[in-house]
Amino acid sequence: MKKIFLAIIILLSAFNTDAQLSTNLVLSANPPGSLFDWGLKKEILSYVVVNQSGAVDRFLIKAEIKLTDGTVIGNNNLAKAQLLSLGGASRVFSASDVIPMDNMIFSGKYKTSLDKTGKLPAGTYQLCVRIVLPGTYQPISEERCRIFNLAAYQLPIPISPLNEQVLKPELAQSAITFRWTPVSPIPNYPVTYRLLVFEVLENQKPMQALKSNMPLLNKDVIGTTQYIWQPQLGWADLEAKNKTRAFVWTLQCLDNMNQPIIDGNVNGDGISEPIIFYVGKEKN
Amino acid sequence: MRKIFLLLAIIALSLIKANAQSDTATKNFSISGVMGVSYEYYGLDRKPVGWTGFTPRKPWNQFRFNFTPTMQFGKNFSIPINFNFSTKPTNFAGPYAGITKQNFTQFVTNPMNSFGINPKYKWAELQLGTQYLNYSELSTGDIGVFGAGFDLRPGTYYIKFFTGLSQQGINFFTGPPQTNGAYKRKNWMASIGKAKEGKYDLGFNFVKAKDDTSSVTTPPTLIKPQEGFTLSFKGKAFFKKGWYAGIEGAQSIYTKDLSLAKDTSKPSFKPFIEGHASTIKDYAAEFNSGKKTKNYDIGIKLKYIGAGFQTPGYPYLLPDRFDYTLNTRFNAWKDSTGNYKMNVVASVGKRINNVSNNTLKAQQFIGNLNWFTQFNEHFSLNVSFNNFGFQAPGGINPYGIKNVSNDLSINPTYTWKNDKVINLMSFNYNYSKYKERDVLTGLITNNNTNSFLLTYVPTFLQKNISPDFSLMYFQNKLPSFQLKLITFSAGVGTTFAKKKGNLRMQAQYNYSKTNSFKNNNNIIASANCDLKLSKKLNWTTFISTNQFKYGNEITPNNAKYLESNVRTGFQYRFGQ
Repeated sequence: MKKIFLAIIILLSAFNTDAQLSTNLVLSANPPGSLFDWGLKKEILSYVVVNQSGAVDRFLIKAEIKLTDGTVIGNNNLAKAQLLSLGGASRVFSASDVIPMDNMIFSGKYKTSLDKTGKLPAGTYQLCVRIVLPGTYQPISEERCRIFNLAAYQLPIPISPLNEQVLKPELAQSAITFRWTPVSPIPNYPVTYRLLVFEVLENQKPMQALKSNMPLLNKDVIGTTQYIWQPQLGWADLEAKNKTRAFVWTLQCLDNMNQPIIDGNVNGDGISEPIIFYVGKEKN
Repeated sequence: MRKIFLLLAIIALSLIKANAQSDTATKNFSISGVMGVSYEYYGLDRKPVGWTGFTPRKPWNQFRFNFTPTMQFGKNFSIPINFNFSTKPTNFAGPYAGITKQNFTQFVTNPMNSFGINPKYKWAELQLGTQYLNYSELSTGDIGVFGAGFDLRPGTYYIKFFTGLSQQGINFFTGPPQTNGAYKRKNWMASIGKAKEGKYDLGFNFVKAKDDTSSVTTPPTLIKPQEGFTLSFKGKAFFKKGWYAGIEGAQSIYTKDLSLAKDTSKPSFKPFIEGHASTIKDYAAEFNSGKKTKNYDIGIKLKYIGAGFQTPGYPYLLPDRFDYTLNTRFNAWKDSTGNYKMNVVASVGKRINNVSNNTLKAQQFIGNLNWFTQFNEHFSLNVSFNNFGFQAPGGINPYGIKNVSNDLSINPTYTWKNDKVINLMSFNYNYSKYKERDVLTGLITNNNTNSFLLTYVPTFLQKNISPDFSLMYFQNKLPSFQLKLITFSAGVGTTFAKKKGNLRMQAQYNYSKTNSFKNNNNIIASANCDLKLSKKLNWTTFISTNQFKYGNEITPNNAKYLESNVRTGFQYRFGQ
């Protein structure tokens, strides 16, 4: 699949033959809100460079992030940019080559926002990229611009069962209704919500259960924000010991490529803040 | 690994012997706590052969050990031990997800295992091994760290420090099964302050975590090596007549990618953390205040988490939000004996997400009410109501998000008795309405759920038997979807072997039907047996079986599975 994708990109880029290097820029229309995360997935940004003449040996990538009216809000520092070479007839560069975050310069409120949150303010931007020669910075390829929308996505918040809610065993043995808030704002693809329920065993902390147990429920729910779980668990021990059993539940959000949505927490796993609930006698 | 088991067995036997001696010999030494071993079997048989529509939800075989004695030497010195571990890794989420073979250090630091010893002499506590330390709401409290530290409380002062590993380096492996992998993460945490139980608590907390970039040869793909430092100040005060107030303010500096170059223009807090290109700095704050008395409470809680606030001690904390909640509880309506007949618990709150972004702010409203009344010795009524609303603007979609959920529950209970039996009859009705707006079409889906539950529990005063029965009807209805569930459940419990044993069995039948598909049938049977083998030794066994047969709502039609689960274990109790 990756090879086909690469071949299509290279073929597309070959249509541009005006400059010494032909290029193509592929950028997801809705990339992660944090620019630091762009390098984590290859499909977010690819910049293909084809050297048809073979004349160009070393070059720099000049990248500018602009508003839709063309105002430049950030660019890479060409004086400190890494010298690149193709090492063959063509090469695909990723986000970490095109917008190396340790060599990008932002200004004004955009710098403030990046320093505070790691994200640019939500909105529509464009990324413009071209190849230049070292020293003179003379362009040797056409400028490629792509528009993208940035939104500060927030992972879902589990809402039902509520945190530390105690459910009656007679009701919970048949059905437990799970509800959560959607990924906000809603992306332009259907989000897969992987609903996970873990039992908190004796001598375990809820977070231990989440990180170490097999899930009792592992259900992918696409698009909607409710699921009715029929647990099919025997409760005889619960009744016998007149005690409560603890569970922890959360959601893992996946994008249309079935990859975790990496916005929202620092773990890169798309997992929401977990919630604990109990089945058993109400606490006094 | 075998050496650990051998060593533990020797220690356990020595403690059992010491325990026996301490019972009779001296008051200068005593042991309390428990130790035990349990085995769990899980079986899953699916038909037709090759069908994988239902996946296993437990490991096939698992041994678990717990060893948690507290040795008390005289009045001032104690050694609590907390060892809990399993033989087989089953990590699904988190950094160890997918790991099948673990080396010794990974075994010790795997979150499924805990090895902690906390020797304590008067006000000085040494903390060794796995510790889940909770310093405050905004600093640390959710991670287990394997290492060493102390907790000193001379007079009204406290000084705490702990350092260790929260995860070992694990290489990414494409699988199957895929191992996500993780960088080795070292943690440091400290707290210093002054506190008096029930009066006040003032202190500073420091938390730092740093990934070791060289700890893996095949790095994880969806995460970069990180470093974080959080500093917080907390204060709590308790006043006369039940009034209280608490506050915490925190600042975090977090580097999302340590592999990017250092940058002097980025936030730093030397010598604890130095800025890199990906370093961000933000704040969080929390405030609560209220009054607590025997018959009523009232309180308010505010919480702000900045968009860039990240603390290593709460890795799943949702940033960029502002919550406020007002809650109350009160008793009313005294009976002739002076006890209150009515108890009301209520809360109302609002959460604003995406605070940092004015155009895409999302708002949640949450309201809960629980109202219990014991009218007389026979009749009680519990009514609860929950309302939840979530709203966000459209962004790139034409319509914004709007979800509203309303749940009402009415639960009357009636008891009556004669010389032979006490009867309890309980009815529970739940109505839930969930409205969800489609962000592309603007259409609102009404999702309604009704459920009825009838429970009957007779308690025989002269017989060694305690049965219970329940019947439930559940219906969930959407415009193009309908789910009906009917469950009948019966249980019975009894004692045996001169009341040294307890046996309880339960059987449950579920009928479920989706739309016009043929119904599904499900039978669950479970039994639990506890037997006191001696004054200090208990044997517990739990067996359950779950037979599910689909109608024709899935392909292949009439698919079925049989799930079986057996847990058995021994627990030895130290002390009297």
